[in-house]
Amino acid sequence: MPFAGIDIGSTMTKVVVVDDKEKMLASHIGPTGVEHRHLALKVMEDTIQKSGLQFENLNFIVATGYGRINVPFADKQITEITCHARGIRSLFPSVRIIIDIGGQDSKGIKLDAEGKVANFVMNDKCAAGTGRFLEVIAETLGINLVDMGEIALKANGFVQISNMCTVFAEHEVTSRLSEGAGVAEIVAGLHEAIAGRVVNMTRHLGIEKDVVVTGGGAKNVGLIKAIAGKVGFPVLTPPEPFITGALGAALVGKDFYDRGVRPAHERKREEVKFFS
Amino acid sequence: MEANQQIKTTAVKGTDTARLVRAMVKNIYQSAHEAKANGQKVAYMMVASQYDEILRAMDIVPLPTENYAGLCAAKRDMDRFLLKAEADGYSQVLCSYARIGLGFDSLRKELGHIPEGSPDGGMPVPDMMLGSSAVCDPRFKWFQATSRFLAAPTFGMDVVAPPPQADLNEVRDYYIKYQRDQLLGLIEFLEKQTGKKMDKERLWEAIRLGDKAWQIWYDIDRLRVAVPSPMPSQDHFSIMVAGHYYSGTQIAVDFYQKLYDEVKYKVDNKIGVIADEKYRILYGGGLPPWHTLWIFNYFESFGAVFVIENVYRGFDPVEVPSHVKDPVDYLAWRAFLRFTRYHEKARAHSGNPIVEKLLGLIDDYKIDGVVFHACRSCRATTIGQTHIKSELGKYTSIPMMQLVSDMVDLRDYSEAQWKAQISAFIEALEGREKG
Repeated sequence: MPFAGIDIGSTMTKVVVVDDKEKMLASHIGPTGVEHRHLALKVMEDTIQKSGLQFENLNFIVATGYGRINVPFADKQITEITCHARGIRSLFPSVRIIIDIGGQDSKGIKLDAEGKVANFVMNDKCAAGTGRFLEVIAETLGINLVDMGEIALKANGFVQISNMCTVFAEHEVTSRLSEGAGVAEIVAGLHEAIAGRVVNMTRHLGIEKDVVVTGGGAKNVGLIKAIAGKVGFPVLTPPEPFITGALGAALVGKDFYDRGVRPAHERKREEVKFFS
Repeated sequence: MEANQQIKTTAVKGTDTARLVRAMVKNIYQSAHEAKANGQKVAYMMVASQYDEILRAMDIVPLPTENYAGLCAAKRDMDRFLLKAEADGYSQVLCSYARIGLGFDSLRKELGHIPEGSPDGGMPVPDMMLGSSAVCDPRFKWFQATSRFLAAPTFGMDVVAPPPQADLNEVRDYYIKYQRDQLLGLIEFLEKQTGKKMDKERLWEAIRLGDKAWQIWYDIDRLRVAVPSPMPSQDHFSIMVAGHYYSGTQIAVDFYQKLYDEVKYKVDNKIGVIADEKYRILYGGGLPPWHTLWIFNYFESFGAVFVIENVYRGFDPVEVPSHVKDPVDYLAWRAFLRFTRYHEKARAHSGNPIVEKLLGLIDDYKIDGVVFHACRSCRATTIGQTHIKSELGKYTSIPMMQLVSDMVDLRDYSEAQWKAQISAFIEALEGREKG
């Protein structure tokens, strides 16, 4: 009785397959970038293959993420908010606040005691507070995005970055460099700025334990440290933060199935049309 | 060719009577042009300033500049006016209603005529401008700024309300006297501009009509507690035109009577806005997104109907003591009672009159969820909105959401993000429904 969830994000497509005991059978991550967008079906098929199953074996498929619309092989589309909540709750039953830092946006989600979404906030139409912000600045600094967290941990203090507009922050970073500031201290300052922004946004929900950070941002140890500093207590991160949305999608599919919901239309094993 | 076609921004209405409003809006601007041609005085005015009946009693044609800004946004013809104001040096963080008004007036002066193709024929040059401090400071300062380049006498009237913590018995007389003095100052200004004395009997008649229209409007809103909803919020944002821009006239009374009859019929026959009403939504606050009113229909596509709202509403009816025999005194008393309507309730409970009002609406209208609209350039309705939302959360567990854009400036709006948030909000409502 397997179920699949596919999370089509701005930079990556993630697929998770679970069984009816909610055990993860397989997961896979592939690129979503402009030239790869049509590959969502391939990521799906690769994951199914990894799990040793056939497409036809899947009882329910839920699509989530910003590319969830018009996924021809999905049985239902559900937002990332609901899917992250379901996925994270399955990993951390005590969670009350989720901070999702993705490539394109960031979100705060509050769960009630039963694990239902009680409230949520999303960042404005702006790259600040998202993975994209760090990506742009990493390019400016000539360092790898994946190394930024470790670099920040080596900093001796941090340089204040006051501008959260990505374009202006880029200028600010350049001028701090020319003033002689260290790269590690600048990177630490950037993490402080992002953490300040997402935590401040999440404060609208009322922060309470446990707080789980997920999405690509959760892979960044420097950012996690900065967020914990702002929150005032340690925050939790999933073992594989990229796939919690897809995991949640698979579990939401299982929930539907358990309630007697069945796929309403025939699945089409076609490429995702939304992006074409 | 395609680029010249107007993008649909408006919402499909729920009542037939609401569809009559478009002609009423056109008539506002047409009447102002005709009045100018006939030598009658025309005044720029601000909505809900408590002086509407005085203008009617003195045959001054009101020209609501805020409404014009909303009209431009609904027609998606606001950019040229916003950009003109910004080119003149007005900041993008300044009230966008004011920026459209300032930009329109500046462009008209620069061109020497009304900008070509202006919505509903544009606004003529006013004979006077009547600012007001009710609601926010830009409504007081806007016309002062306009008067730097537009030769029309300006009067700014202070409209005051005590804080919720005040002992009303202690402060009442001071507030009412101050408000009365402000109204008398305005009347003196208007008499000077028109060369005519104000007739108190005519003012009483305008007040009578104003109160009657607002009472029927209130009665309509009480009918809206019905399930299914007989009239949605998108209709409210049209039908408010009668109460706010035709106040003190028989036109407003007749309009609301007609609307009352239609809504009553729908309630009696259980005719809802949509066939399958799943969720009843409260528009919790913030000016409406005039640029994208179809968003209300988008919610309806998920079975969610906005059944009541907390902006541009008529004030609840108040009872002015019978010893008040002077119409100006009456207006001062009425303003005080309107603005302090929820003060005692707030002192006894949450401390916040808006929270009290919203809790009452949630209860009366069987609300399933609340949506707020934070407008970047409207400090008056946006500052404190997050606080109100979290205070409200202490007394109710229904889902709430805050959408962010602006009332008229499209540059602050992201359709993709709104749709993503709305989807998540609907899922939260569904999750609640499933228990």
